[in-house]
Amino acid sequence: MNSGRVLYHMVRADFLERVRRYSFLLTLAASLYLAYCVAAEKIWIVVGNGYRGVYNSAWIGMLMSICCSTFLSLAGFYIVKNSVQRDADTRVGQILAATPMRKGFYTLAKTLSNFAVLASMVGILMLAAVAMQLALGEHHSLSLWKLWSPFVFLALPTMLLTASLAVLFETVPGLGGGFGNVAYFFLWTAVISLGATGTDDPMGLQLLYRSTRTALFSIDPSSPDRFNFSLTIGGERALHTFRWTGLAWTVPVLLMRLLWIVVAIGLSTVSAAFFRRFDPSRSRQRVRSAVKKALASSTEPKAIAPSPFVPSAAHLTPLVRHGGGSRLMQLIVSELRLMLKGQRWWWYTAAIGMLVGQFVSPDAGVRSGFLIAAWLWPILLWSKMGCRETRHSTGPLVFSAERSLSRQFPAIWAAGVIVTVLTGAGAGIHFAIAGDWRNLATWMAAASFIPALALALGVWSGGSRAFEALYTVWWYVGPAHQIPGLDFMGTTPASSSPVLYASLASILLLAAYLRRRQSLGYA
Amino acid sequence: MYLAIEAVGKSYGSGTWALRNFTLNLGPGVLGLLGPNGAGKTTLMSILATITRATEGRVRWSGTDVASNPDALRATLGYLPQDFGVYPNLNAVEFLEYLAAVKGLDAASSRRRIDELLNLVNLTEVRKRPLGGFSGGMKQRVGIAQALLNDPQLLIVDEPTAGLDPEERVRFRNLLSELSGNRIIILSTHIVSDVEATATDIALISQGNMVAHCSPEDLLARVEGKVWEWVLPSADMTSVRQHYVISNTTRRSDGVHARVVGEVAPIGAQASTPNLEDAYLYCLAQHRLGRVQPSSAGVMA
Repeated sequence: MNSGRVLYHMVRADFLERVRRYSFLLTLAASLYLAYCVAAEKIWIVVGNGYRGVYNSAWIGMLMSICCSTFLSLAGFYIVKNSVQRDADTRVGQILAATPMRKGFYTLAKTLSNFAVLASMVGILMLAAVAMQLALGEHHSLSLWKLWSPFVFLALPTMLLTASLAVLFETVPGLGGGFGNVAYFFLWTAVISLGATGTDDPMGLQLLYRSTRTALFSIDPSSPDRFNFSLTIGGERALHTFRWTGLAWTVPVLLMRLLWIVVAIGLSTVSAAFFRRFDPSRSRQRVRSAVKKALASSTEPKAIAPSPFVPSAAHLTPLVRHGGGSRLMQLIVSELRLMLKGQRWWWYTAAIGMLVGQFVSPDAGVRSGFLIAAWLWPILLWSKMGCRETRHSTGPLVFSAERSLSRQFPAIWAAGVIVTVLTGAGAGIHFAIAGDWRNLATWMAAASFIPALALALGVWSGGSRAFEALYTVWWYVGPAHQIPGLDFMGTTPASSSPVLYASLASILLLAAYLRRRQSLGYA
Repeated sequence: MYLAIEAVGKSYGSGTWALRNFTLNLGPGVLGLLGPNGAGKTTLMSILATITRATEGRVRWSGTDVASNPDALRATLGYLPQDFGVYPNLNAVEFLEYLAAVKGLDAASSRRRIDELLNLVNLTEVRKRPLGGFSGGMKQRVGIAQALLNDPQLLIVDEPTAGLDPEERVRFRNLLSELSGNRIIILSTHIVSDVEATATDIALISQGNMVAHCSPEDLLARVEGKVWEWVLPSADMTSVRQHYVISNTTRRSDGVHARVVGEVAPIGAQASTPNLEDAYLYCLAQHRLGRVQPSSAGVMA
């Protein structure tokens, strides 16, 4: 069998496995919603001094492809970043590893199957773009080349780059888990910012900036001094329109786009260097070092020697059954211990440093900065809430226990609240001592909201990625930029909304409870 | 103390029934639940362990309907699923302490119980090692220990000896026999020798239906005079397999010694003493031919 055929079947099998999952339908629904937002003018591109293009094929194609390049390069990464992990979880990976398949071949196949998923979403938006132009009716002449060429030359190379980055993050040690999910958001932010520096960026923002600037200058010479190019969600509508006939796909422009395709394939090759070929001895490195440590500190024999005394079930002490007490506290402590187990010394050191910083900072701004950082730090602890049983297949053991829903479920949330309160205690104590009741109320609402969000997303999604991705974006947009309504930490009096977040916490807990109840055979 | 399974069925959508009209009444003792892969054993185990809800029928634990009050059963249930995981960063003691807390056990008494259980499953020496470094057999033993944490009256073990070495398998069989005195144990497996060693009663299940429910002696009686040892050339084996139920073959210098299970002796075959594997294969074959009637589902002695 030739390599092309092998590659085709690997990509096909992986793609079919994904598209036959319920989550793929949700992904397509999200793409359609994105198209709807553009069509309903909830998402805009405003250029120059309040201009937007006439809704002709060129402008709609550009607008929709930019939505693909920006939103899908973020959301799409989290959607496809599980192809290697899935092979490990299903143990198909070990079968593949035992074949003559080369590592580079595998990472390329995974990149292409990731790309196929993302490209199918782009395809939906390409069709939606046609419908959008017909629906808006501002310009009746439909040009498929002008409408779709930005998808082909801008969006698809960006999707390929996203696909290869997802594989790279899955294979590079340390980036496969929650840390990688958080790190990608900051990488994405940095790449988006690249366009603003005048450098050609993978999303093609700089190309469009230059093209629209030139077009606008020809009708409004005053514009270049105050020229801007912004993709806006909501906000004020454009005041004027201008005719933009599309990007000129010159050889230098196409070469620049080709460069990003080459970069994507290069990243796929780099991934191969890190790919461990599903060797369990490497994936368990950390646990193994803990085993060695346990052995070194143990005074007991290193191997399991046959016991000279064969114990019998008759020697088991009968269990004393106590009536009444719920032992909820004991369970909360157990959940807390489970949550914190495996954290390293430097994690605690940094957490304590931020805690002290919150408490001793005389300046409110600095204190708030410490609190913002402190409430991003435990993200990988929170993100395991509600999905730990699925991830480690302990559900049958836990959920067959008496009153598991009424005892274990609140215990998980309580353990999450304890972690949140402890990491943000410096600010909380400061507010209490200063009698700053409004800030204290906001702080308490956030301390209940964050674990409630984690628990709800963990239970509903069955994994940790949804919380890691959403919380990082929310944290960045809300508390870090003090956007009113989104700032759950209330970092400024203007952006503080304790009642909203206390209510949201209750709603999320109810949603999580109902989902957990539904998923258990007998709730 | 009794467990009544009354006309229980489980459908997985699109009209596929994993279990259908399954009725069984159980008292103290070890029930060996035998059946081929995909027979519905694990589905039944999940229903009895309150993990999955039955589509039809009901399960009663000492008179209480489990669907309306699952905690009545859970309070006294020990469950070892076929597939389960562990938290890799915890050691065996911490993991069992966690599950003891989930089961609502008192901290002090559960600590002593955990020590004894780890000794019972021969893991005392590795009790402080993270579970992530455990082999499959060692994890299975942790699973056995957790199932016994709350001194269960109903112990459900699904393929418990999978991954255990022969020594540990014998140890586990002995443990089951010792535990069986005053509790109901349901042992689901497709390994006939496990059942042979421990079960006081046997239920055969195939294609989601009960094939037989009786004592091991009764099951053996069904196949009495129907097992034959036949020596034949190895070249004939392929055609013989198409016409007879073969429970075992051994190659010797004079040819292949095949154990044939059937109503009529093949020409030249000698009568042989039946074992449970013969009886199991005979009943399954009869069930496929539609010739077997399930036994009455009486309460175990």
